[in-house]
Amino acid sequence: MPPVADAVVLSRQFDDAEQQRSAADLGIWIFLATEILFFGVLFAAYAIMRIRYPEAFAVASRLTSVSLGSINTGVLLTSSLTMALAVRATKLGARKASIALLSATLALGIVFLAIKGTEYYLDYRDHLVPALNFSHPGPQAGQVEIFFYMYFFMTGVHSLHMIAGICLVGVMIAMAARRAFSTAYYTPVELSGMYWHLVDVVWIFLYPLLYLVSRS
Amino acid sequence: MIRHPVAAAQTYVLVWIALLVLLALTLGSAYLPLGWLNGAINLAIAVAKALLVMFFFMHLRSSHYVLRIAASAGFFWLAILIGLSLSDFLAR
Repeated sequence: MPPVADAVVLSRQFDDAEQQRSAADLGIWIFLATEILFFGVLFAAYAIMRIRYPEAFAVASRLTSVSLGSINTGVLLTSSLTMALAVRATKLGARKASIALLSATLALGIVFLAIKGTEYYLDYRDHLVPALNFSHPGPQAGQVEIFFYMYFFMTGVHSLHMIAGICLVGVMIAMAARRAFSTAYYTPVELSGMYWHLVDVVWIFLYPLLYLVSRS
Repeated sequence: MIRHPVAAAQTYVLVWIALLVLLALTLGSAYLPLGWLNGAINLAIAVAKALLVMFFFMHLRSSHYVLRIAASAGFFWLAILIGLSLSDFLAR
């Protein structure tokens, strides 16, 4: 199968490749804005609960695994680097580098989920899962449980986004392997990267709010 | 023609190093007894990390202003959501 030199797949509603790319850029940011607001509701709920129960949130946050959470933050930040480099390689037409970097991103995403799963197991072992086996000594038990409702909901929804991102990156690897991209057409990789980075941004805020409330 | 300028790989690596340094700072500062400043530092560092990711990895640095407005829109409405909600809870 001979590679098509810099072919642009132009949908018929667009005048030219430039216009098509602008539409894709604007479209992904509109979509990401809806994602920001989707997670935003959870952040708003978190803010209200933390203001109402500051002591319980301080106690509860100390029960999370700060070492695993910090390592996972590093893993995710690194995956954003490999993703940014993968998009760059695709734009430059470096197909093999692009596939290698996308695969690294995929692997780091899976490592993130594995560590997160380990944390969930430890939380289960320590009786911190609300509605399943939650128990906490002391009068603040109910308020500590509210923190863990927030913790599981926020990290759970984030993990679902990670799974979606991993699937997307997998599709990008397959498309790159079939030579679907060129220096003129790389929109799917670009947009998958945008999604991946936004999921990273969400975690950047989750990390201090869940793991670092009161460590001193 | 190329509207997505290709940044140097070095730039991305430097941004990544900056992100890891900020991660170390936020983790380290959390163990210093600074009272309410702990939370403020954590949030400020998170905002700095998010801006680094969005400006460099998500190319806002070299994007058309229309894209920057679209990117700001989500955060603008988020600020209204959180701001108005808290104006109730903080004033009770």
